[in-house]
Amino acid sequence: MGKYQLGEFEEVVMLTVAILQGDAYGIAIIEEMEKRLDRKVSIGSLQTVLRRLEKKGYLQSEFGEATAVRGGKRKRFFSLTQHGQAILRETKEQRVGLWNAIPDYALNK
Amino acid sequence: MSHQNHPHPPKLLLRFFRWFCHPDYVEDIEGDLVERYQGWVAQGQSPRWRFAREVLRLFRPSLIKPISNRELNNYGMFQSMMTMAWRNALRQKQFTILNLLGLVIGISTCLIIGLYIHDESSFDTFHEKSDRIYRVNQPYIWGDWNKIMATTGPNVAVALREDASEFEQITRILSLGPHTVAPASSANRSNSFKEDRVYAVEENFFDVFSFQFKTGNPSTVLADPLSILITEMTMIRYFGKESTPSEAMGKTIEIKQYDGSWKSFTVQAILENVPARSHIQFDMLVPLKSESEMMLANGWKWIWTGFATYGLVKEGTNVQALEKHIQTIPPKWAPPTTERIFNQSFEEFTGGHPWKLELQPLGEIYSAGSPTGHPFGPTGKPLFIKIFTAIGLLVLALSAINFMNLSTARATNRSKEVGVRKVLGSRRLTIVKQFILESVIFILSGTVLALIAVFLLISPFNDLADKQIDLMPYLRNPAFYLVLVAFIMISGGIAGSYPALYLSSFKPIESLKGIVKTGLNGRKIRNALVVIQFTISIALIITTFFVQKQLTYASNVDIGFAKENILQLHNVGEFGFDTEALKNRLDGYPEFTAVGKSFGVPPFVFSGDRYKSTEPEASVVQLSNLRIDDDYLEVLDVEFLMGRNFDSNRKNDKYKVILNRRALADLGWKLEDAVGNSVALASGGEEELEVIGIVENFNFNSLKEEIAPLILIHHYNDIVWDYGAGSSYYSMRLNPEAIATTEDLNQLLVALEEEMKTIDPTVPFEYSFMDQEFETTFRSERKMATILNVFTVMAMIIACLGLYGLAAFSAEQRTKELGIRKVLGASVVELSIAFSKEFTRLVFLAILLACPIAWYFVQKWLQNFAYKTPLEGWVFLVATATALLISLATISFQSIRSANRNPVESLKDE
Repeated sequence: MGKYQLGEFEEVVMLTVAILQGDAYGIAIIEEMEKRLDRKVSIGSLQTVLRRLEKKGYLQSEFGEATAVRGGKRKRFFSLTQHGQAILRETKEQRVGLWNAIPDYALNK
Repeated sequence: MSHQNHPHPPKLLLRFFRWFCHPDYVEDIEGDLVERYQGWVAQGQSPRWRFAREVLRLFRPSLIKPISNRELNNYGMFQSMMTMAWRNALRQKQFTILNLLGLVIGISTCLIIGLYIHDESSFDTFHEKSDRIYRVNQPYIWGDWNKIMATTGPNVAVALREDASEFEQITRILSLGPHTVAPASSANRSNSFKEDRVYAVEENFFDVFSFQFKTGNPSTVLADPLSILITEMTMIRYFGKESTPSEAMGKTIEIKQYDGSWKSFTVQAILENVPARSHIQFDMLVPLKSESEMMLANGWKWIWTGFATYGLVKEGTNVQALEKHIQTIPPKWAPPTTERIFNQSFEEFTGGHPWKLELQPLGEIYSAGSPTGHPFGPTGKPLFIKIFTAIGLLVLALSAINFMNLSTARATNRSKEVGVRKVLGSRRLTIVKQFILESVIFILSGTVLALIAVFLLISPFNDLADKQIDLMPYLRNPAFYLVLVAFIMISGGIAGSYPALYLSSFKPIESLKGIVKTGLNGRKIRNALVVIQFTISIALIITTFFVQKQLTYASNVDIGFAKENILQLHNVGEFGFDTEALKNRLDGYPEFTAVGKSFGVPPFVFSGDRYKSTEPEASVVQLSNLRIDDDYLEVLDVEFLMGRNFDSNRKNDKYKVILNRRALADLGWKLEDAVGNSVALASGGEEELEVIGIVENFNFNSLKEEIAPLILIHHYNDIVWDYGAGSSYYSMRLNPEAIATTEDLNQLLVALEEEMKTIDPTVPFEYSFMDQEFETTFRSERKMATILNVFTVMAMIIACLGLYGLAAFSAEQRTKELGIRKVLGASVVELSIAFSKEFTRLVFLAILLACPIAWYFVQKWLQNFAYKTPLEGWVFLVATATALLISLATISFQSIRSANRNPVESLKDE
């Protein structure tokens, strides 16, 4: 598993998808990220990453119902695959491992 | 939420997004976009700008449509289209051939005309500094001050050097006029040549112009006043075919001076032959320094208008401002000249007209064709370029119309194909593409064939148009192909668009049922196109008829004397001034009924001067002048209205003059009391010249011009200086009975040459016939007429091809109708008429349209001539009858065939 390295943005997107739990479509993801991380995200950059993650098999997607609000267009909801969840977990463990390896005094200066 | 609460994002941007986005993603991303947009609208945060930014940011490789996919698809389609195009072309061979023939004629004509125009408009571009060179033009100070001439006095250059610092260089050229020139090696100078194109140039000539050197040093060669520069062609002429430039260097060439002495020049440079597309054409150049005596000796500095003055402006010069600035020069510098020569102040001399100095860019000198002539080479004919451009476009339009017409006519046969394609799911766009592709292929093959045709036809055309167009430089130039490809795409697109849109609009159900929309619409348009074609061709035919008629008329117009049978001997001046001995010899020939000497021969009498009547308060008039001996008027056989001819027995006759009738009007004299009056030179000479005779007007210049006032001066008159005095001629009226055959004439000429050579072997033997010389003044018009004829025939062929195709189509359409008519008892003749009527109507309509158009243009063209052929109605009748006959003949192929067809055959199949 170690050879799959998530990029920072990819990781954030996957985490957001996980947070939204079945309600994760384009705008919802963007708004959630904007709210929590205070960073601007364009649809273009988000969609690129979503498609890439989907292609890698970390995410899966399905269409929802059409609503009037979006000009009659359906939403595409993303969710984590098993594989994706595993990757996310592994990433987290790597980070925690790194944090734990830092000597206590190093960050307290 | 009501509908108004869902604002729509900008449509155009959205459409753009849909166009580029990957089809799999388009729906949900579009939804996201709309939702975002609505969010921004609700917050009032300049939603449009943000939306545009979002859309642009979506344009990235991972989200756009894959490109490779489409190419693969299209290739298959393209292949299928090519196959279809090929099969269709083969199936209807007749149409294919008609179509291609029309296209080849149209495109090759257009190409040739394009080459011609390009050639005409790219003169003088070979000079490195061509964009900075200007010629100084000035008003025609010898008469009509509103006319512009291309030459100036020598001191215009001197003044410009002094007063206009914007010029980097000013350089002058002087034509030395015809000279007899011989290589020093030849014994007795018998190997002499008459050189018209020997010019004197200034030391900085090659700083301005970039004529190429074979040998010699451009920067020093003109420093030696006795050096001479010759072109390679001249070198071969003088030193033989085997001579090389390095051998010829240092050899001596002698030029005969006006006083009969020979002046030696050393060859110090061999130049490459002057490019054909140069407005300055020379064989030899000598330094202007060699003429220093002439330059210094006379004070005619502003009125010796033999010089072409060229200026090379510094880079970045504002030429308009410069031109304005130099207008101050003539009033400042010219007065001493006018005062000394004419005893007139500057204002008196100019008569209040501004002495303009005009800067004409080098690139325009040839193509502008104005001023109309200069002594150093050719001038273009803008009228010809206009006419040719018009014809080129017309012929191209004709063949495009043809193409469209034939394609739509053919369409009916293909309606089933279109129907089947549509039923099988073809979109209209695909069908449009198919037809446009077909027409592009047609035009492509037409162009390739036309290129071959041009390749074969360019040398006859060069002969016809007096051009040296070479196709090879074009074929090596990528820009030429670019133009060709652009032409093929554009004309293919345009010519293909109508058939494509028309055919693709067929409704599949109708076309499969066999209800073909030969509909009113298509038919009307086709008929209109045929009418346009025939209007153009008939107008061209009428014009051609009139051009021929005018040329015949002008060469047969009564010019006041019999110009036939007059032989003119040139270079007489070189035997010295007194040529009585030669005259006595000529008088001895029984073949000559009269022999006379003159210092100019019609139609080339160009010298003239300003005279006035000796009555007090008389105004100055411009008279052409011609110096003649006692017998010249007898040779011409012009009619005396009053008074008498010069008489060799009266000593004082050499100071008398004869006028033509036209001159009386300008002098304000009556015919009855003109004889005995006197005129004097306006430049202040005291000597009075008494008028002893008045002759009827006769043409002494080209028939394009009206007869000008003329004064005939005795050749021994030593008071009146005449600029044309350099060259003189003997004219002999031939006795037609003594010279019955060309053999007689040849023998006479050989005898004459021998006689001349015994007197002085260095004088070149040259002769001309007056009627032929008059003819040459119409040379360019004749050329134009020939070219016009050729193109008219082309236009007519194309129009007929179109008509033939349409008739064939109509014959197919009306097979059943004609069959039924025949069964019901119509005769073959009746059927043919019934069939032809449809088309004859169109041709008649075209005739009605063409006549006024042709009338307008012919009448405009005729304004170029002083003697115009009347615009007679019968010419229109003959021309249109010709057109009608040709078109009837074309249709009759089809009409007779369909009328003769056995009705059983035409009716049996359903």
